[in-house]
Amino acid sequence: MRSPTRMRPFVVPETDASEGGNAFSGPDVVAGPDYGTARRRTRSATIKVDLNAMSTVDPALQAAQEDAANGIPKTGTSPAAEAAEDIDVGSESAEARRARFERDAMQYVDQLYSAAMRMARNPADAEDLVQEAYTKAFSAFHQYKPGTNLKAWLYRILTNTYINLYRKRQREPLQSNSDTIEDWQLARAESHTSSGLRSAEAEALDHLPDSDVKRALQAIPEEFRLAVYFADVEGFAYKEISDIMNTPIGTVMSRLHRGRKMLRDELADYAADRGFKAAADATAATESNKQENGK
Amino acid sequence: MSDCQGLGDCDDTRMQRIYEYLDGALTRSDLAEIKHHLDECPECAQQYDLECVIRKVVKRSCTEAAPENLKNAILQRIHTIRPVDA
Repeated sequence: MRSPTRMRPFVVPETDASEGGNAFSGPDVVAGPDYGTARRRTRSATIKVDLNAMSTVDPALQAAQEDAANGIPKTGTSPAAEAAEDIDVGSESAEARRARFERDAMQYVDQLYSAAMRMARNPADAEDLVQEAYTKAFSAFHQYKPGTNLKAWLYRILTNTYINLYRKRQREPLQSNSDTIEDWQLARAESHTSSGLRSAEAEALDHLPDSDVKRALQAIPEEFRLAVYFADVEGFAYKEISDIMNTPIGTVMSRLHRGRKMLRDELADYAADRGFKAAADATAATESNKQENGK
Repeated sequence: MSDCQGLGDCDDTRMQRIYEYLDGALTRSDLAEIKHHLDECPECAQQYDLECVIRKVVKRSCTEAAPENLKNAILQRIHTIRPVDA
């Protein structure tokens, strides 16, 4: 669900964050504490984006979001209520803060665990990751500004924890070679044609088992995978993802674009493997005819 | 290359518009314009549908419940931490 937090006009730092790799290589941002102010500003040139001018989505989706926003969160407080609450963090007792943390932050355990599964790849590591992130979040909770987006703040800590704690430890060839993998992935996505899927295939995708979908997502290089996950599963806005991943908005958008293309292609492969080959072949034929005609 | 150029002159542009549409990242007038086009153009609508299906299956597949004991483990652990004074 999209955060109901007030959208303010903001300034996007124009960094030279070109694609590939700079993703998580930012400074060792200590998780969370200066959320919202720690965005790297590598250059003085800025683009002004007025989020007030932006609206939300198609009616169906909007209705779904409103439903979600009106739904009752597990532990009782809606984000709107958090925002409305007037908390003097400075004079709050330690016990009161702990209670506030338990009430407001603990409701996201399942969601953070699901995200951690997209990072750590196995349940034991995902659990450790979530536990570590919550511990850090609690330690830094006096620095969280009530009324700002708590879920995004927690996601940022989770992401940083993952980068600092796990990714350095893991020596997976996939990640140490992310540029190469990325090029290969893109070449493949293009030769497959992203528009090659047809309704029969939409039908097929709809019936893919969860395990296939998870594997397809996992096959995408991580900075693309996480951007897609944050947007498509969690419904975070570009600006929120840019805060969570500590990357400029332009980079978020291009990661989403390319990541979604890769995902679509992976899913199409799984669908083909599951016996929807006929549809895929027909599509391929149509595409190659088109290309022939286009010459 | 797509036959329809209503949302841009190449597949990339078209998909980008569809993503922005679904992401809620458009101004109201752009939103209305794209909605109108999707109502009229089966080819683009098909791409839009497919993207919706993908989001649906990803959401469905990636929603997991944390193990029973995780929440308790976290609560136990934060009770051993003395909160920092602001």
